[in-house]
Parts: sequence; C-alpha cells; structure tokens
Amino acid sequence: MPVADVLLSGQLLFAALVTGALYALVALGLNLVYGTMRMLNVAHGDLVMLGAYAGFWAFSLVGVSPLVAAPLIALAGAGIGWGLYRVLFRRLLGGFGTNSARMEGNSLLLFFGLSIIVQNVAAAAFTPNNRGYTYLENVVHVGNVAMTVNRLAALIVAGLTCIGVAFFLGRSVLGLAMRAVIERRDAARVVGVDVDRVQATSFALGFATAALAGVLVSMLEQFSPFSGFQFTIAGFIVIILGGLGNLMAGLVAALLLGMIETYGVALTSANLRSVLLYGLFVLTLLVFPNGLLARSGVRR
Amino acid sequence: MQRPHPPRRLVLGSLAAAGLALCGLPARAQADKPLRLGFSMARTGMLANATPSQLNTYELWREQVNARGGMDVGGVKRKVEFVMYDDQSKPEQAVRIYEKLITDDKVDLLLAPWGTPFHIAIAPVLEKYKFPMVGNTAASVALRQVKPGYIWFPTSAIPDRIGVELTAFLKANNVKSAVVIANVLPFTKEIKNYLEPELKKAGIEVKMSAEYPPDVKDMTSMLTQAKQANADAVLALAYPGDSVLYAKQAKELGLNSKFQFVAIGPSDPFFPKAVGASAAEDVVTIAHWSPRPQWKGSQPFYDAYVKKYGEDPDFLNSALAWMSLEILEKAVAQAGLDKAKIRDIISKQTFETINGPVRFDGVQNAITPTAFVQYQSGRLQVVWPKSIASSQFKAKTGW
Repeated sequence: MPVADVLLSGQLLFAALVTGALYALVALGLNLVYGTMRMLNVAHGDLVMLGAYAGFWAFSLVGVSPLVAAPLIALAGAGIGWGLYRVLFRRLLGGFGTNSARMEGNSLLLFFGLSIIVQNVAAAAFTPNNRGYTYLENVVHVGNVAMTVNRLAALIVAGLTCIGVAFFLGRSVLGLAMRAVIERRDAARVVGVDVDRVQATSFALGFATAALAGVLVSMLEQFSPFSGFQFTIAGFIVIILGGLGNLMAGLVAALLLGMIETYGVALTSANLRSVLLYGLFVLTLLVFPNGLLARSGVRR
Repeated sequence: MQRPHPPRRLVLGSLAAAGLALCGLPARAQADKPLRLGFSMARTGMLANATPSQLNTYELWREQVNARGGMDVGGVKRKVEFVMYDDQSKPEQAVRIYEKLITDDKVDLLLAPWGTPFHIAIAPVLEKYKFPMVGNTAASVALRQVKPGYIWFPTSAIPDRIGVELTAFLKANNVKSAVVIANVLPFTKEIKNYLEPELKKAGIEVKMSAEYPPDVKDMTSMLTQAKQANADAVLALAYPGDSVLYAKQAKELGLNSKFQFVAIGPSDPFFPKAVGASAAEDVVTIAHWSPRPQWKGSQPFYDAYVKKYGEDPDFLNSALAWMSLEILEKAVAQAGLDKAKIRDIISKQTFETINGPVRFDGVQNAITPTAFVQYQSGRLQVVWPKSIASSQFKAKTGW
C-alpha cells in the first residue's frame, strides 16, 4: 500500500482510535492510584479481566447487554476498590508515615500477591477456558470506513469516560483535591485537603475504570483468567510514556500508542510491533525521563 | 505449587483402598488398589486456556473406565485415579514433575501433558526411566528428532504434511491464488515454511505473505492489504488468540475470499462462541477427526463429551487425548504393568481408535492421514482428504 494511502486511510484511523481509547481507559485507573498514593497496581490488568468476566456472565447467563451492565459493573468495581482501600491499603499507608520508598516496595508486593490470587481464584472458579461472546457484531459503513458496531461502541464509551474523568478532575472540588494530592501531597494536606478521602476516591475510580475497560474488552476479544497481564503492561507503557501520575499526558500517550500500533505496523511490518513499541518506550525514558509530556521543573 | 488434584479425594480414596487391601486376601490386594495415572497440565499461566479440552477428555475417560469396573490391567480390573500437578505453563516444570511422578509418587502409568514443547521436554525423562507414555497434543517436524522408544505421537497434523495436503486441497477446489498471514510462533511458522514452496510448486500464486507477532492487537493494516490482493484463498496461520481477532476483523473489512483457512483455534468450541456461528461457518481448520460410523466409538465419545460438558470436544486435542488413552488401555490390558511389554505392544501393534486404526512407525502415526475440517451448519466435518471425508468442501460466502 502506498505511504499516502496508509496515512490517509480512515480505516486505520478508526483502528488506532479504538486501540488508543482502550489503552487510555486502562491506563487512567492505573495512573490515578499511582498518582495519589505512589502505589503501582500490578494487579490492574487482573481487574480488567474480572470486569470482562462480569460482562461475559451478565450477557451469557442473564442476557443483559454489556453496555447496560457496564455502569453497574463499574460501580461494583468502585465498591471493591473502596473496600480494599479501607481494609488493606489505608493501614499500609498509615504504617509507613513518610517512608514512601518502603511503602512503594511493600504495596508492589501486596498488589503482586493480589494479582496471583485473583488469577488463580478466577481460574478455579471460572475454569481457564477462553471466553468470548458476540454482541453488536454487525458492520456499519461510514464513507469507505467499515466499523463493527461493538468496536464503535467501545470507542465511544471509553472516550466519553476519559473525557468525563478529565472534567471531574478539572471542575469538581474532589477532582481538584485529587490533582492537588497528585502534584503536592504534603502541601495539599496543609491546606486542608482530606487526603484519606481523596485516596479512597481514587482507588474506587481506578478500580471502576478498570472494570469498565474489562466489559468493553469482553465485547471485542476473547479472554481467560490469565489475560490481565497484557493490560497491566500496556497501562505501564502508557503512564510511563506520559509521565507517572500525569493523567492528561497519559491520555495523549495512550492515543500515541494506538497510533504506533496501527500506523507503525502498516508502514513497516507487523513483526516490528514490539520493536516500535518498546523502542519508543526506551527512547522516551532516555530523552524525557519524566515522561513525554512532563512540564519541566514541576514534577518531584 | 505441586498439589495433586483433587487432593482430599485422592488421599481418602487411597486410604480406603489401603484399608481394604489390609483386610482382604493378599491375592485381592492389588486389584483393590486403585491404579494411579500421573501427568502434568498447565492449569495456570499463559497456556492454561488451551488445556481444558484435554483435561476434560481425561476426566471423562476416568469416569467411564471406573463406571465399567476399572481399567483392565492384564486381566484384572482396577479403578483409576489421577495424580495431577500444575506445570504453570513451563516445560522445565513439567520435566521436574514427571521425574517426581516416576521416582517419588511411583505412579503406575503416565499420561501426556499439553503441548509440543512439553512433550519434547519430558521425552528424555521417559527414556531415562524406561517409562512408556503415549503422547497426544504435540505436532511439529521436530518430533521426528525425538528418540523413538518411550514416547509416541498419534497426530498426523505435522507441518510438512500440512503443507502438501493443504496445497492439494486448494488445488482440488480450483484455488488459483492465496494470501498467507502467519503468527511467528513455532507451529504456524513451520507450516508457513513448508506451505509456501508447495503452493509455488502447484502454481498457486501467493499474492501476499506476512508475519505477525503473537501479541498482535490489531490486524487492520495487514487485512486491508489482504483484501486488496483479492485472492481466492486466505490462509491465516493463526493461534487460538489471534484466530478470533482475524475472524472479527476479516468480517469488519469484508475480506471475503471463498476459501478461509484458520490454522489453530476453530477446532475448539470457544471459537464459534467468540466470533458468532455465522462467521465460523465454512471456516476450514486443522483436525483429522469427526464422528464417523466407520470409526467405532467416535459418536459415543462425542455424545458423552457433549453430555458431560455441554459443549463440543476440541476436534483436534480432545480426539488426540482420547486416542492416546485408548492405545494405552489396550496395551495395558495385554501387558499388565510390565513397562517393557507395554512398550513393545505400542511400538508394534495396530490399534483401533475413534480416529480409525493407528500404528506407530518410530514415534509417528503411520496410518492416520493429514486432514482438514470445516464448519458446516455449526458442526465440524472432515472435508479433506476424500478417503476419510464426512462431507464436501463448501465455499465461504461471507462472514
């Protein structure tokens, strides 16, 4: 295919946007938890996997459309996140006071353990079989671009959610407090931000977006109890590209990643996917160690 | 995590059996003791999603054997129990497990783990302890390098033969041009290497040939090019994960070649569920089995599997697993637990299985032909070669 055709193809743009939007949604939750608490949730992809199962069961057992079930599943995810924070992580955070390095290490172990437990419980409870179902599989044509309706729906839901969260962070008091905690944790505490409440909220929001991403994933591809890891990795790449804790930059980085996956592969070869992805990743770390879109001198 | 499964039942079962053996007459002692069959299976890790169809088949067999009084061990019926460990999708773990099964657990017989690398990895262990095992879910030209003697491979889906037979199949259906896309994992890569020269030899034009990595997330650009190539056949040498991605995106882009071959994935019942029955219809894939009246036991196996699990067996892996059990069962009925005798019998005799007669030449099945199946009205049917076909090939008319 000639280069110009590749770059101007609406079909590729659509593919890049779908991939990018899903990455953005996955990375958003990961980044929220990291930003407010400096905890790297390596079980994040497993939450996506659980969300996918919830969507799958809702559709196959109860016959509920995954799009209808999605808000409820996200709410359940929020509940689990909030509960885990209250029961497990608040104590952990409190115990370390200002020793954040040790806390980061311990939380990593805790999340790692959580990830293994979630995977194996899911395998025992749901069997390790691949799962998948068909929902909104019909194809619509807009101009010369063919779109499967479920991919279009996933793009819209993921995009709107990201925009919604961005508004929440930019406009609401709690959102602003959240950003304050992300940027200057101690200063936020000094000016009277309820850090505990912010952290509980970000945990809940992080888990909710992961669960929602899972429901969308379940509409598009097959999954098993062990397919969460790929989302954790994708999420990591996005938030490191954008800058850890930098939420808006994460969204841009996710779209960039989607573009590389589609356009990079189209212009070179599918076999170079990982080379392109990790090449950019390493290059970013070398040239912009604080992330592609970090404002100089502001972060830590 | 090396826990036998299910532990409690096993322990209780063994205790009960031991108790009975102590109380009973010495001559009855062995017959009352259950026969222990050991194996490893990827229950966790990246391959765990591929193994249930094999494990389900093992469990169905155990249930049936025990229901008819047990496995015939040289004329004495003994109940069967499993000693299973999770190999965590790691071949090196399987090596340790098989050593332990032989030396520590002292199991009576061994069943195969899932997958080619696992079979190849444990072959030296079997050789070392002179412990025969009938393999099943392994297919590679590399299997021929395995020293013959203690392991056998019933499959006929070996990549070089697939190259020859698939080409003949395409030719017979008047295919003049093809697009080849291949996952770079070993099995599909091997198929590609053997298939493309065969296509050229047969005068089938390869209009496009591309490879992609196992973690592919989007095939839009590759399939857009494939569509522009406008070939009679698309040969998607895919693994289970990307077979679904391929089908979904081929549908989206309207990649409507009349011959749609998807290498691995469609033989598993999850495929039509994940892509939809109409998309799965007329897709051709690798397998050499489907229920046929000529193959004794094939329909009862299919019916029993569907009854127990509520879905079709995997037409490749479940069938192979069942064949391996049939072969072992017949050998043990004659030889008892004498390993050397079991080995001789498996090496020399011809076995009637649900996939027709099987005889081994070295490590390989010398009889079963390399074959292909196609979804027709929601069921897989053998459509090539003609000698064992249960139906005729149909052109795919869209997704």
